[in-house]
Amino acid sequence: MIEISNLSKVYGKKFSLTIPTLAINKNELVGLVGNNGAGKTTLLSLMLDLIPATNGFVKSKGMAVSKSEDWKNYTGSYLNERFLIPYLTPTEFFEFIGGLHGKNASDIALFLKENEAFFKEDAYDKTYIRDLSAGNKNKVGILAAILPKPEILILDEPFANLDPSSQLWLKSKLKELNNNGVTIVVSSHDLKHVTEICSRILILDNGKLVKDIPTNSNSLKELENYFNVSSI
Amino acid sequence: MRQLIVHYWKEKVRSPFWQKSIFLNILLGFVAIYLILNFIALSLFADKILLNAYPNQSVIFSFSKILFYYFLLDIVFRFFMQQLPVISIQPYLTLPIRKRTLLHFPLIRSVFSFFNLLGLVLIIPFFIKVIAPTETVSYSLCWLITVISLIFINNFINFFLKKSFSKKPLVVIVLVALIGLLLFMDVTGTVSISIVFANFLSNVSLSGFWVLVPLATLFFFYYLAYALLKNNAYIESPESNVNTKIGKFRTLSNKGVIGSLIGSELKLILRNKRPKSGLYLSIFFLLYGFIFYNELYLDKIYMLAFVGLFVTSALAIIYYQYVFSWESSFFDTFLVQKISANNFVASKYYLFALMCTVSYLITLPYAFINYKIAIVNTAMFLFNVGISSIIIFYSGTFSVSFIDLGKSQFMNYQGTGAHHFIMMIPLFGLPLLIIWLFDSFGMKDYGIYALGIIGALAIIFHKYCINFVSHQLVKQKYRMACGFRE
Repeated sequence: MIEISNLSKVYGKKFSLTIPTLAINKNELVGLVGNNGAGKTTLLSLMLDLIPATNGFVKSKGMAVSKSEDWKNYTGSYLNERFLIPYLTPTEFFEFIGGLHGKNASDIALFLKENEAFFKEDAYDKTYIRDLSAGNKNKVGILAAILPKPEILILDEPFANLDPSSQLWLKSKLKELNNNGVTIVVSSHDLKHVTEICSRILILDNGKLVKDIPTNSNSLKELENYFNVSSI
Repeated sequence: MRQLIVHYWKEKVRSPFWQKSIFLNILLGFVAIYLILNFIALSLFADKILLNAYPNQSVIFSFSKILFYYFLLDIVFRFFMQQLPVISIQPYLTLPIRKRTLLHFPLIRSVFSFFNLLGLVLIIPFFIKVIAPTETVSYSLCWLITVISLIFINNFINFFLKKSFSKKPLVVIVLVALIGLLLFMDVTGTVSISIVFANFLSNVSLSGFWVLVPLATLFFFYYLAYALLKNNAYIESPESNVNTKIGKFRTLSNKGVIGSLIGSELKLILRNKRPKSGLYLSIFFLLYGFIFYNELYLDKIYMLAFVGLFVTSALAIIYYQYVFSWESSFFDTFLVQKISANNFVASKYYLFALMCTVSYLITLPYAFINYKIAIVNTAMFLFNVGISSIIIFYSGTFSVSFIDLGKSQFMNYQGTGAHHFIMMIPLFGLPLLIIWLFDSFGMKDYGIYALGIIGALAIIFHKYCINFVSHQLVKQKYRMACGFRE
């Protein structure tokens, strides 16, 4: 589904991200972990063609994302607030995004009803997104990413700022989507969340891919050990 | 207090805007120095000028009358242009600093504003040259104290006005109208408050004791401003964030991607402070005609074309000079969503055309002054929609600075870059050049027709023009997005 070859992104002399090769297969649920500054967001931004690669490329369904815009049709993503239009209400924003994918107002109402447990949009239908709390902005962004029924879903720190019940909801939602064939890449600082839901875990450190492991019952321990050691 | 000053200084010096556009700051610096020099010269020669204009009045009396006008206009200009010093106090609220210090700081800081400096350079040279040598010491001192108090009274009144009324345009309009009415009555001589003011000033200076009145007023307004800040010194804003009036534009979203993009952009204009205050600003541009459409200029085709260019695009030019920067805080949305660059540019093009049409229709009645205006403006309207739009959009792809939608447009140069100044060369130069070409062959009026025809052709082939811009946009997108993220 997603292939990376000889990818590098250099920022000045201090930081560079290099990934010689990486393939994410259809229907995988990949967790991306690493400490601050390891390059998680850089990698996700490269997958979404938000920043130009210094070298190499990311291919989505065999097409380089920087060359063709086809991936936009089947990729849902939410990295941060800059993906939201601040002066729209949540409903207007969902309608805007849905409209781009040919969904009408009643489709969107149905979608919101289904996901009411996560985000109750009635409570905020007169509030502009810019006035929402960080957690609610995050929820709006995540819902907007899954609204067009994407085949690939890319989320950066989706669990950040979420209340406990929303975290649980999101975990089961991601698993459900994955069971329905969606390929998912999530980054997170929470090792527990990642080991619980992901089928494969990638560890980034200082711009390098240092571990690529399938999840099993020992994964959490392995990860905790890894981060413990590297912090000392 | 000293720490606060240091922090304020750091905030100013380290602001990314300051570091980025040195060019703009130098330009603004020149304008400021030019204004100050003008005021000093005016003040130094005021006695001669006033003696010429009003030979039967004492110079001090005439000067006092002029000061009255100055103070009234000063309030208006301050209201629109003076930026109140705000130190974001949130990080300090929980620190062991007395709240009073935090609140006095911005007030005292505002004393050092450019507007106060302007007032002082207008008064002090005159004072040294005329008043100090001729009047008694007590008179001079009282005069000086009164006038300086008045400058600072204006300063703090502005605090009050800005804090309480900046969100209510109606009050602002009433205020401006009231001041306009006062000035009008004064000039026509119906009710001359300026004479009352001048008498008051000389009486205060004579009596000596009464100088306490302006001083007391000054302290009153200082405390008014202080109390106001104190009320606003909580993180929670008093007004609720729930909006009751929410426009729908639902019909637009039925018109496909371009329709919903236009709908979104209309909401951007109506729901954010910066573009909205830009709309108010463009009303001034629409009124330009009243200055230029008179005997002096009606025969000058260049001037007519220039003014026509302005008034028929007033709404569009003010807004679209920041064409892609408006979306700077969520530009990434357009990069990952299913929106092609072509549709994105097209939606902006159609809205540009719509805005030009509105400006054109509003300013069409100028034709009652002279029929020529209708011809020139129609040509310039076509040219604006066809060509100016493309020039502005093309230039917009070079913008890399973030715009905060929540700030006012007045005296706000955030988002302005060197490309804006470069853009002006083709924007104003091209039409004038075309007229000049025809003019040099002795066919002056045909230049205007040519502009209209070129504009119309560009409108017919607008698909190609949009393509041209969107190619450029795709080329620039990483650079723009990277700049906007800072």
